[in-house]
Amino acid sequence: MAEKNYYTIDPGGKLRCMKCGVKLEKGKAKFLYLDNGFPVELPVCPVCGFVYVPEELALGKVASVERALEDK
Amino acid sequence: MAQIQERGSTHVYKVNKISKEEMEQMVARCVYEHPPFCSAACPLKLDTRAFLEAAAAGNFKKALQLYEKIAPFPLVLAMGCEAPCEGKCRLCEIGEGVAIRAVEEAVTRFGQAQKLGGVFRTKKKKTAAIFGSGLFPLFLAGEIEKKAYPLTVFCEEADLESFLRRGTGFLDETAFELEYRRLKAKDIRFVFGCTLTRDFMEERRASFDVLCASHELTSALYPEAACIPELMYCEAEKLVSGPAAGILDAAFGAKKAALTVDRLAQNLDPRNTRGQEGPVESQLYTDLSGAGALTRVPMYGAGYTEEEAIREAGRCIRCQCEECLKSCAYLAHYKKHPGLLSKEIYNNTQIIMGDHQLNKPMNSCALCGQCTVVCPNGFDMARVCHEARRNMVSTDKMPLAPHEFALLDMLFSNGDAFLARPQPGYGKCRYVFFPGCQAAAIAPETVRAAYLDLCERLPGGVALMLGCCGAICDWAGRTELQEQTKEFLGRELSKLGDPVVIAGCPMCKKELASHEGLQLVGIWDLLLEIGLPVGGRGLARPAALHDSCGARGDEKTQAAIREIAKRLGCTLTDTEFSGDRSPCCGYGGLAAYANREVARELTEKCLERSDAPYISYCMACRDRFARQSRESRHILELVYGTDAGAPPDISEKRFNRLTLKNELLRELWQEEPREMNLDYTLNYTDEARRIMDERMILTDDVIAVLDCVRKTGECIQDEDGLLVARRRVGNATFWVKFTREGDGSYLVHRAWSHRMTVVKREG
Repeated sequence: MAEKNYYTIDPGGKLRCMKCGVKLEKGKAKFLYLDNGFPVELPVCPVCGFVYVPEELALGKVASVERALEDK
Repeated sequence: MAQIQERGSTHVYKVNKISKEEMEQMVARCVYEHPPFCSAACPLKLDTRAFLEAAAAGNFKKALQLYEKIAPFPLVLAMGCEAPCEGKCRLCEIGEGVAIRAVEEAVTRFGQAQKLGGVFRTKKKKTAAIFGSGLFPLFLAGEIEKKAYPLTVFCEEADLESFLRRGTGFLDETAFELEYRRLKAKDIRFVFGCTLTRDFMEERRASFDVLCASHELTSALYPEAACIPELMYCEAEKLVSGPAAGILDAAFGAKKAALTVDRLAQNLDPRNTRGQEGPVESQLYTDLSGAGALTRVPMYGAGYTEEEAIREAGRCIRCQCEECLKSCAYLAHYKKHPGLLSKEIYNNTQIIMGDHQLNKPMNSCALCGQCTVVCPNGFDMARVCHEARRNMVSTDKMPLAPHEFALLDMLFSNGDAFLARPQPGYGKCRYVFFPGCQAAAIAPETVRAAYLDLCERLPGGVALMLGCCGAICDWAGRTELQEQTKEFLGRELSKLGDPVVIAGCPMCKKELASHEGLQLVGIWDLLLEIGLPVGGRGLARPAALHDSCGARGDEKTQAAIREIAKRLGCTLTDTEFSGDRSPCCGYGGLAAYANREVARELTEKCLERSDAPYISYCMACRDRFARQSRESRHILELVYGTDAGAPPDISEKRFNRLTLKNELLRELWQEEPREMNLDYTLNYTDEARRIMDERMILTDDVIAVLDCVRKTGECIQDEDGLLVARRRVGNATFWVKFTREGDGSYLVHRAWSHRMTVVKREG
């Protein structure tokens, strides 16, 4: 069965981890909030594991899910 | 760094703060849903307000539809009704009440009737029979037909016309013709020319499920029958019948009888579940100040023409209590009267599983108490919202997000920025000046000037306490934190010798008044007592005085501020929203943190009163008005000849508090404060400053992120070559997009945050 991801962002080789000197790749990550978890695919550094949350995602989808969970 | 624990499980149950009974009593205070007095007086419950509104708009079709709901034969009722509604019209108190009956007659005469007939309606299985003729049987026939029971009418008359003539002699020929057509179109079976005897009726009992009769027939044929007038029912005889005096009574009797028929047909007790019947008492409040024409449109013929009826209906002032909605931007925003909104907010606290959809409205109320003053019954929306917040906090269901920034700001005020020192040269002091956290954040120079003045002119020593009174956690419903704040301030005051607190802010004064044994005085009262300092000056232009919600119900404070303004040479303009009726600026109740839109509307509501500059005596009001680009001054700025200037952003507010504390420590107490100095230069683009203020991101948060980058080197470079780093601070992750400049300094371009944590996932 295909694994469910709530959101996917492919960095497409445009982002670079300055610590490790490598490009960020589409990788598995999860958001956690108030006892809830959401699997997503975000730009991740394959070496150090830095997960990037772009501004649009933080202010858009993430913020609206936060609001919804806060009112549970 | 101060931190507040995010709530834990979402499924913790505890007791309510307001009982259901208390809530019901509270809701009952709101009379918005009470009927207007005309409708309340009508036993048939005509929605007179909507009827007259439709008539006034010339929409006779809609008006007639409303009227047909209560009267199967509208002209018979309209032309003969005794109209108890007219005497109850509120306009009677100041002039002539609306000629409701005459308008009804015009509407029924000129209005386009609904499509007559009902042959295509599904009929019920149970059947009914009516014996006799007259107004009551006529109305009852209409009501039973409406309920879709197959109905047979047995009468002595020879034809339908004679049947209708009985009791309707007051109809003119045109009206009679209209009603005749209406009756003819109804799906009723008539048996004419009957000789109505007791045997005749009893013989037909087996053929029908319910028998009804005119009162005359029942009295003649069943003299022993005892009618229950509320039910229009003779129980022993199993006969639906009863007396009716007059046309309206016949119509009302028919309504009650039809309900009895309905209950009997279903083999139910006719006494039960009847709902409220007949006229009711109403406590609706009506503002008569907007009433227009006070005399009736004269009637030149037998009745109103269409045009006359429209004009007369237009005199109706549509009695409706909206005093709070007119005054409060918060209630107006949600377009709900407080009775309804309170019920919804109360129910919101009761939800165990599922969404708390009313969290935002609950947290958007400014808790200012204006509604209690403007409501004729003193409805207290603030208490409802405040208790609901406490309830949500105590049951661990309150989200931290809407209030966290304000709560952290309070912890900052009573932590890093807190200062409590006796006047230099004194051990214990007679007074302590408590300017309030917003004063130090927005107008630090004014605080300094006021403190130095008080030290110079008051005997016995004046200590200084820079901190938060606890209003923030009180508003947030965090009673535990409120108690801790109270204890903390109590300990600090005790160290200073329990001096008399000179409050610089009416909200602090109100909050501190809950401390047992604390002596309190407003700086405004003290200044009037010792005289204003030299150098103060009022505004050259006339100004509007904005009363603080902290001073609501405190006439003495309101008067003292006016006196100070007068002594400074100010010309003040008062409006209908001055004094106790003053709206909140949008800061109160943490509305500005929970709902920016409502807070902005609250501010605009304050400012719409006048185009003049605003003088206030709460620093939060001063700040919010200035942020809306209005010339805005705090009374103490005028007293001390200072000008706090443009409103600071959220980081500057912290900086101002800290700087004031450190400067005073150095100057007055010769103490060298511990200051954190950055060993690098940090700059912001204007856009970064703007979005940080909007998103409640402090320079301290940005510094925390950059410190992390400098230590760990963890950051990424985006497609535009900008660097992006992040750090978790408390309950949020902060992201900063920046560049490292040639001189080694940092330039911040953007910043954002989220509360969720994000981690790499394996597998």
